[in-house]
Amino acid sequence: MREDNLRDRHLDKVAGDDCQKNQLMEYASGNEIAAIAIKQIGYDLMGYYPITPSTQIAENLDIMRANGETDIVMVAAEGEHSAAGICYGAAVAGGRVVNATSANGLLYAIEQFPVQSGTRYPMVMNVVCRTVSGPLSIKGDHSDIMYLLNAGWPILFATTVQQVYDFNIIALKLAEQVRLPVVVAYDGFFTSHQKGRCYRFDSDETVRSFIGPKVEKYPFLDLERPITVGSYMNEPDLINNRYQLHLAMEQVSCELPGIFKAYGELSGRFYGNVEGSHCPDADTILVLLGSSYDTTLEVVEEMREAGEKVGVATIHTLRPFPNKELYELIGHAKNIMVADRQDSYGAGGGNLSLEVRAMLQKYGSAARVKSLVYGLGGKDFFKEDARRMFELAQEENAPDFDYYGVTPGAEGCSVEESLFAPITPEKTNIDATKVELISGAQVDEVDDVETEAIKPAEQNQTFVKATGGNLNAVTAMPARIAPGHGACPGCGIPVNLNLLLRGIEDPVVFLFQTGCAMIVTTAYPRTSFRVPYVHNLFQNGAATLSGVAEICYRKQQKGEIPPGDIVFVMVSGDGGMDIGMGSAIGTALRGHRLLIFEYDNGGYMNTGYQLSYSTPLGAKSSTSHVGREQYGKTFFNKDMPQIMAATGIPYVATVAESNPTDFIKKAAKAAYYAKTCGTAYVKAISACPLNWNDKPATERRVIEAAVNCCYFPLYEVEHGVTRLSYQPEKQGKKIPAVDWLSMMGRTKHLSNPEYSHIVEKIQQEIDQRYNSLKKKCEIDK
Amino acid sequence: MVDALSREMGLYDKLKLDKGYYEIRLESIGGLGANLCGKMLGELGVKYLDLNSTSFSSYGSEKTGTPVKGFVRLCNKDKEIRVHYPVVEPDLLVVFHQALLKDDSVWKGCSADTAVIVALEPGQEKVGGLKCNMGIVYGLEAQRIAIETKSRINMVMLGAALKLMGLEDVEAGERICRDTLGKKYPEALEGNLEGLRRGFHEVRLMDVEGTECSNESKMGQPVWGYENAPIGGINPRFGSTVLADLSPSRQGFIPLFIKERCINCGLCHSTCPDMVFQFAKGQYKGKEMMVNQGLDYYHCKGCLRCVDVCPVNALVRGVESEHPNKEYFMANQELIRTPDYYEESGPDGYITSESYLTEKRMEGGEV
Repeated sequence: MREDNLRDRHLDKVAGDDCQKNQLMEYASGNEIAAIAIKQIGYDLMGYYPITPSTQIAENLDIMRANGETDIVMVAAEGEHSAAGICYGAAVAGGRVVNATSANGLLYAIEQFPVQSGTRYPMVMNVVCRTVSGPLSIKGDHSDIMYLLNAGWPILFATTVQQVYDFNIIALKLAEQVRLPVVVAYDGFFTSHQKGRCYRFDSDETVRSFIGPKVEKYPFLDLERPITVGSYMNEPDLINNRYQLHLAMEQVSCELPGIFKAYGELSGRFYGNVEGSHCPDADTILVLLGSSYDTTLEVVEEMREAGEKVGVATIHTLRPFPNKELYELIGHAKNIMVADRQDSYGAGGGNLSLEVRAMLQKYGSAARVKSLVYGLGGKDFFKEDARRMFELAQEENAPDFDYYGVTPGAEGCSVEESLFAPITPEKTNIDATKVELISGAQVDEVDDVETEAIKPAEQNQTFVKATGGNLNAVTAMPARIAPGHGACPGCGIPVNLNLLLRGIEDPVVFLFQTGCAMIVTTAYPRTSFRVPYVHNLFQNGAATLSGVAEICYRKQQKGEIPPGDIVFVMVSGDGGMDIGMGSAIGTALRGHRLLIFEYDNGGYMNTGYQLSYSTPLGAKSSTSHVGREQYGKTFFNKDMPQIMAATGIPYVATVAESNPTDFIKKAAKAAYYAKTCGTAYVKAISACPLNWNDKPATERRVIEAAVNCCYFPLYEVEHGVTRLSYQPEKQGKKIPAVDWLSMMGRTKHLSNPEYSHIVEKIQQEIDQRYNSLKKKCEIDK
Repeated sequence: MVDALSREMGLYDKLKLDKGYYEIRLESIGGLGANLCGKMLGELGVKYLDLNSTSFSSYGSEKTGTPVKGFVRLCNKDKEIRVHYPVVEPDLLVVFHQALLKDDSVWKGCSADTAVIVALEPGQEKVGGLKCNMGIVYGLEAQRIAIETKSRINMVMLGAALKLMGLEDVEAGERICRDTLGKKYPEALEGNLEGLRRGFHEVRLMDVEGTECSNESKMGQPVWGYENAPIGGINPRFGSTVLADLSPSRQGFIPLFIKERCINCGLCHSTCPDMVFQFAKGQYKGKEMMVNQGLDYYHCKGCLRCVDVCPVNALVRGVESEHPNKEYFMANQELIRTPDYYEESGPDGYITSESYLTEKRMEGGEV
């Protein structure tokens, strides 16, 4: 199959006895080889949402898709919950379906998983294990995968890159054989990102014939024999449905060995649901999951050479738990140490150790079992750590359960003397930007050269007028965000945050949703914030700030904290406004008094630039590659200001650093509305030199071009009345969209004649949106 | 037989593979392509040197200008590589940027047995400021070679690394270079091959001066632990990122301030992402206003946005090495006490990687 394309990726026929003749060697990471397996299997659809460290799977498939190597349908959902929903729908409809996720993505989607197993629709999901927040950590441990223990999905755990490939193929065969969805789990970063030597079948056909044809027992799309999926079911029936699920898990235990065997005969690599080294005569055995097992293998060899009777074991099937096989492997040992990369807090151990203890009790083993929690948040596991764990296993007085690798902190070190004085209202009240209330009749008298004044329909409505915003005067504003943050050189985010904050002369309380701005400002043990700040996950930021604001207002009312205006500001990227759009809209509809500020750099930049719904049509991203079969992103950028305006909130504005005074004045207006009236929403277009792939120094010109081509028109919607703040055509500054697109590496290819039809579409959409804005202004006149 | 071939080449002995692994650590800054360099070193080990290998980078969020570490392990073809932790005691340390030499973490685990390659400034004769008693230090003017050959610094460093590994010639490097770039960016191939060759041939033994032989790393136990850290990960040290010295993020250029030209318009202040400009109340042309006092170079990442927006050329681009004493260098004015130190590293010490678009540019392709 498509041998020529495969050749492109530097493959070598494997010679000698190392491998079967039907295989090729790859130098690949776990994520890369997972993508290759998925491509070879020939799935119909992947529904996904990018989350580190699993994202590369979708990225690699997207490259293959762009090059025409696979025709898999790739659906980038707006969040993991939807991704799991897309996968479920596709599985119900009879497609072969795959997903990949990690950590909080897995948890966000979790309610979908028992539905999938309970209604018995096979699929495969790669879980690239990562620490569950919070505090937010992107690195690897097993706190996510253990949440799936009760989901009714068989879970295969791979300890090496090779196993990631093999288990992906085995998983689908198993899934379709027992009609259950199956997880392939492996360590984030340690396995997902480390590249090494591995083998894969040279022909996709070998893989496909191993898995065999998909058989649907009850085809959903057979319109002549309609079926109902998802019954409403209580007692006495539900328990029977669940018993069927239990039996299916039993069936896995029976049938998986046969699949392992068949796969071994095909590939030369034989697996079992447990694996061990030097266990039969070992006195002391260490049990671990994932890449740490791999590392311990080396330690065991070294300790054996020194005459120590140690062994190591792991399990490849976390579900169904291999009780009998594991007992046979380790039950005879005197000392067993189970090390967990997560904790079931309060249970006296992580889930692996709890289950190993239960298993040993079941079979009446006399082993002394201890457990350790180690390696959380991606803390490295060195050979010395394995050696120490063997020692602890044998130490008479070592506790049965403990944490390994914690540090008490340096003595005498508490919170040191502050570097800054607190920012008081007197300091921020610099009187550089003022707001006043005016009547609708006065609006067209607003003195602003850049504004085309439009008389509102309602003369009696009160509007807000902002004056000032002088760039020299606002330099007096103390920096609520301190320097030293880790944004890339030339990043637009701090520029936009600073402009926003220079227009807000009242105290500020921040909520940041997950994203670049949050990552670069709060890397422990430092923080850039000099004002109260809370982070929450990006499907929930606006809701969280609603709660903060309500308690503040209540405490002020009760006299528990001093009165005075506080502006509550939520900061989110455009990615956060994809997955968190529901929460933001809900907050707006409820009308909490707060300001939602979106910095739109048109992509999920923090995770390596995957497409967002605000990425321009045609732009390259790591999930919208350009190739023979694909020209970049396939749908238009989301018009978030109009969506927010439709909620009827009192103030919506767009701002750009190229028009800084306008920006600052709008910030002042938004702050006024947020503290007195209801939800305000402000959106800035924000430069990302890293992923726009242009020069940091010239970003302001790129932003200016985005404004001047009307891709990002500057306007406000105040009490439902739309007013353009700046009309480039009136200043002779209007430029075609392609002029802007060709300034950025991510869209430069569009200036190539072969993409002229795409540019035409973009221009049409821009014109249509801009004309629609103008019409709104006309109507309001 | 393959092993015999390795032995014939002498590589097995040169890399001392009988003791286990030959370990390489790449010390770089996001944007220089160390990630790709590590990957190519690993891949050529497997494909062209009849060895086994693994490679990976320090992990983190995707930011430029911040320190990146790359790790490569090579061993006998028949040995499985089962360890997954970073390279702690490198046999070969490859430093992509001078600014990194002052970072303690760069020297962690180095000893007299470690060979070091440092990317030199043009004309640089000696390597100074080492924080470890190194046995052998090599250097080459990697940036200049990269510019002259129209290749990238990572290709030049790759060539130098192959030389230090004891390869007789650069052929294996050329092959991996062809594999990686040849089909995707044929027009960039020749330049990169030349950069690779020149790296291989021009790397030379250096004189070392001014070793601060501490051999100790500050990267010990975290200052905050379970006994003294505020619960919940709460951080009461408001504004503490100000302690970071971001100068390693700069890539050779800084904005220079020519105060007499300044009209105090505030545009620089409005475009600076790093709060570098220090304005204070004062007089300009007899008028009371905010006046630009100078720049906080501790936090300047050298993006040069300010140079681009300045309407009167009061800010101009300068080559940092030509301005060791920066005029109008003014620390952040809002600080109420001088920090005991500015931490000499990028902002988030363990951040890594490049945009996939940058990566493509690294590989020599137009994006």
